[in-house]
Amino acid sequence: MTKKSILRHPPLYIALAFILLLCLPLMLSRFYLYLLALIFVTGLLATSLNLVLGFGGMYQFHHAVFYGVGAYAFALMLTESGLPAWNAYLAAPIVAGIVGLIMGLICIRLSKLYFGMLQISLGSLVWAIIFRWYSFTGGDDGIHGCYVNGIDSTTNIYYFTLVTVGVCLFIMHRIVRSPFGRVFQAIRDNPERSAAVGVNVMAHQLVGLVIAAVFAGFAGALFVTVEGSAFPDLLFWTLSLEILIMCLLGGWFTFLGPMLGAAIILSLRTVVGIYTEYWTMVLGIVMMLLILFLPEGILGYIGKRREGPVAAERTEP
Amino acid sequence: MTTLTLSALCQQLLVGLSKATILFIVSSGLSLVLGVLRIPNIFHGSLYMIGAFMAYTVAVAVGGSAGFWVALVAAPVGVAAVSFVIERVLLSRLYEREHLMLLLFTFSVALVLGDLVKMVWGADYRSLSPPALFQGAFDVFGFPFPRYNLFLLGVGPLVAAGLWRLTDRTTIGQIAKAAAVDREMVGAVGINVSWVFAWVFIIGCFLAGLGGALVAPMQNITQGMDHSIIIEAFLIVIIGGLGNIWGALLGAVIFGLTDAVGILVWPQFAIVFPYVAVVTVLLFRPTGLLKSTW
Amino acid sequence: MKKIFRPTVCLLAALSLIWAAPVIAAKTIKVGIVDCYSGPPSTYTNDVRDAFKLATDRINAEGGVLGRRIEFVTRDSKFKVDIGLSAAKELIMREGVDLLMGTINSALALAISDLARREKIPFFATFSKSAKITGEKGHRYVFSMNENTAMAGRAGAVGLAKRPYVKYWIAGDDYEYGHAIADGVWENLKKLKPEAELLGQSWWKVGEPDFTPYITAILAAQPDAVIVATGGRDCVPFLKAAKATGFNKEVPFFMHTATELSTLLPLGEEAPEGVLGTSNYYFYYPDTPQNQAFVKDFQAAFGRYPKVGALYGYITATFIARAYEKAGEVDTEKFIDALEGMIVDSPVGPLTLRAYDHQVMFPMFMGVTKKSPEYDFLVASEIVTIPGEDVMPTVDEIKKVRGE
Repeated sequence: MTKKSILRHPPLYIALAFILLLCLPLMLSRFYLYLLALIFVTGLLATSLNLVLGFGGMYQFHHAVFYGVGAYAFALMLTESGLPAWNAYLAAPIVAGIVGLIMGLICIRLSKLYFGMLQISLGSLVWAIIFRWYSFTGGDDGIHGCYVNGIDSTTNIYYFTLVTVGVCLFIMHRIVRSPFGRVFQAIRDNPERSAAVGVNVMAHQLVGLVIAAVFAGFAGALFVTVEGSAFPDLLFWTLSLEILIMCLLGGWFTFLGPMLGAAIILSLRTVVGIYTEYWTMVLGIVMMLLILFLPEGILGYIGKRREGPVAAERTEP
Repeated sequence: MTTLTLSALCQQLLVGLSKATILFIVSSGLSLVLGVLRIPNIFHGSLYMIGAFMAYTVAVAVGGSAGFWVALVAAPVGVAAVSFVIERVLLSRLYEREHLMLLLFTFSVALVLGDLVKMVWGADYRSLSPPALFQGAFDVFGFPFPRYNLFLLGVGPLVAAGLWRLTDRTTIGQIAKAAAVDREMVGAVGINVSWVFAWVFIIGCFLAGLGGALVAPMQNITQGMDHSIIIEAFLIVIIGGLGNIWGALLGAVIFGLTDAVGILVWPQFAIVFPYVAVVTVLLFRPTGLLKSTW
Repeated sequence: MKKIFRPTVCLLAALSLIWAAPVIAAKTIKVGIVDCYSGPPSTYTNDVRDAFKLATDRINAEGGVLGRRIEFVTRDSKFKVDIGLSAAKELIMREGVDLLMGTINSALALAISDLARREKIPFFATFSKSAKITGEKGHRYVFSMNENTAMAGRAGAVGLAKRPYVKYWIAGDDYEYGHAIADGVWENLKKLKPEAELLGQSWWKVGEPDFTPYITAILAAQPDAVIVATGGRDCVPFLKAAKATGFNKEVPFFMHTATELSTLLPLGEEAPEGVLGTSNYYFYYPDTPQNQAFVKDFQAAFGRYPKVGALYGYITATFIARAYEKAGEVDTEKFIDALEGMIVDSPVGPLTLRAYDHQVMFPMFMGVTKKSPEYDFLVASEIVTIPGEDVMPTVDEIKKVRGE
């Protein structure tokens, strides 16, 4: 790490990658653009989970609740209110943030597994309400046909998700690097010491939870933009486990790991699903091998190889 | 709204208790594994499902009423054998990992087991008859009460007593309890902790298989049984106190009773009652009702 | 930098390999089936797929349609809307299918139906019971190849109105299907028999392990009869609990799919007798040469009796083939025009696809469960046929829910 050549600038690579992604619609067919848009959205969701999971060290077991709540808030605003679409894009993160705050206030006193399980119970309550409230949410049939004027062709959807997800990732990255983010990670590594030096641990964790919920809610709105539908599966606990897997697979102590995890899982699902009904078994085996041999995820492993054993101390996002 | 009579309520409580029996058996196994090995075992639900399928296969192969009794022994043993392999080959390498990793690992195993069940037993629904002795119903408080549920009410205390003997009166139970508190210490005095863990794990999984075999005569044996049970079992373990078997008993009873009473009092919203119970408990006792071993 | 560069390139290469382009076969009619092939629903969906295969194999053996073979590919939705919807898009955009069919999951059917409308790809719903598919949310590109909750409700009401019950209790699965069937029966029953009285309702979650508490609660209210709106895998344990508690002897009850083979086969001799149920199809009824031939073929091919899903899969293939033949070319709009109002022969007799709402007008067979000397499971007896016209919602009713 002595040479300071231009090749070492991560922003350069990111800019190059972004330009490449901008050009992709010229080369790829409609389906792959759709798949990429879906990957961006799911990746945003997984990255938002990783804010509290990887950087906050909190057992956020039911993150999909905020995704689903955001998706429903967006779909209902869009179809019922008659207001311009940007209102719905604003409503989704706000509603998800409020739900995150309420759930956070209830759960925050608990630690680790208790925190996660209480979150699952509360999330299941939210799920049950959405599943049952036919007159408002459409019950288990869901809400369909929610399209935004102007963002309805595959290419437009692709560009829209690319840009918005890019902006969200940038903001999240700034948050992680901010003084708040530093304290947040210090709490993860040693809550007792943080408290001893005068950090309000619970307040920081609560803020972290709300931030994660806000981004998850926005991801929900983007999901509806891509798929045109909202349905109760979006906040079922199995989806929460799936995004946990994405974080882990990509590398949960790295910033871009969850996005990579989402790309791998969604591609795997699409492709293995074409050849066999048993794609969950393939996923299960991949996961088992990964946990046995690459416990820090793919990006975590690459990072470790690149920077030697020091970087393995999981401080560098 | 139902006309709430006392006899209906009593009957409902009995039914709730028999439901609690299955929940107790399954979640006590989960709690045991959590308490001693510190593994949040998601594929516990898959083992329960495998137990039910094995019970079906054995009962049909043996035939008649004897089939059920053979299955009741053979299925949990079969499940224990499966779990033994998984523990030795996979889990024993992972004991030192973080809980989150273990959780995801066991989830991966659950995915694989789920698909394996589909390969072995296929898509069709299976159904098993209760043994002749426990078919039909008794009249309790003027309402029919299935004999099989009565049988379950008898099995529950038996399993509880067996578990009590195991944890309080046997060497392995004592070592397991000590290992749960301080693993290094037990290792240091020259006990092979790995094998103690293996035993505890097998016993926990045996209970999952037993639960599956016991539920087989009441349920539709299908894929997907694993999903419905595992969340309930985890919630029970949590409200009881992680790793505390008696907590699992208490949690199961609370779960079964709130469910049964909810159905009688406010059937349209029976779905949410147990969850509300869990949230209430955790709000007032953040680490569960009884002492957690964590 | 090299160290990170190489793995990244490998990763990108792996991803692009995974995304490799599909092989596009020419001169076929390609049907994409998205359905749930794992978990409890697969006992129904496998029959749809297998009978569809049986029918298309025969059509292809006879030279296909307009000189083209009918091919199909399947995707497992895992009963998840997001997975299924994604698979449907993959089938349309990547596989380039001409037609879509499938889904036992109503939410997914509605989602795919919406997609079909935008993409102008005809979609045949083959096991989704939601009346919204061809009702409120119906459009030019969606077709229903099975009965729906409105039809089942109406059939149940017609049957129940003939019986002397007045005080009813409603119990069912706490999701759209259960509520829709219950509402369908109840609304129609109130029309046919205004003095009917509803004592109360109970709803359980899908996959409920023990029905005894619900049965006790129902018995406590002492109704004359119970409308049980449960479907899928909950039918079996409910009937078990009914038998164990003697519920079927205390209170008569109606359950839409109670007499179906998928419900009665796993229970064997253990199923309760005297339960009132409706179905679109029994392999032993109607006892016509067409049905016998169909059962024989199906058994020869798959070694089991066809269940109701087999009828849906079979007629879907038949409608597709006849409609293309009538259209004279592979053209979606002409295909749809040909389908509207089309009548085809089937194991249960001629079936009409109603032009206005694209719903196949199925007759409904109401029967009572009974032990049979021929089989080691219960069958439907005293079967009454309620003709398709009587169970269908009228065109005016459909217009009303669509707000036309």
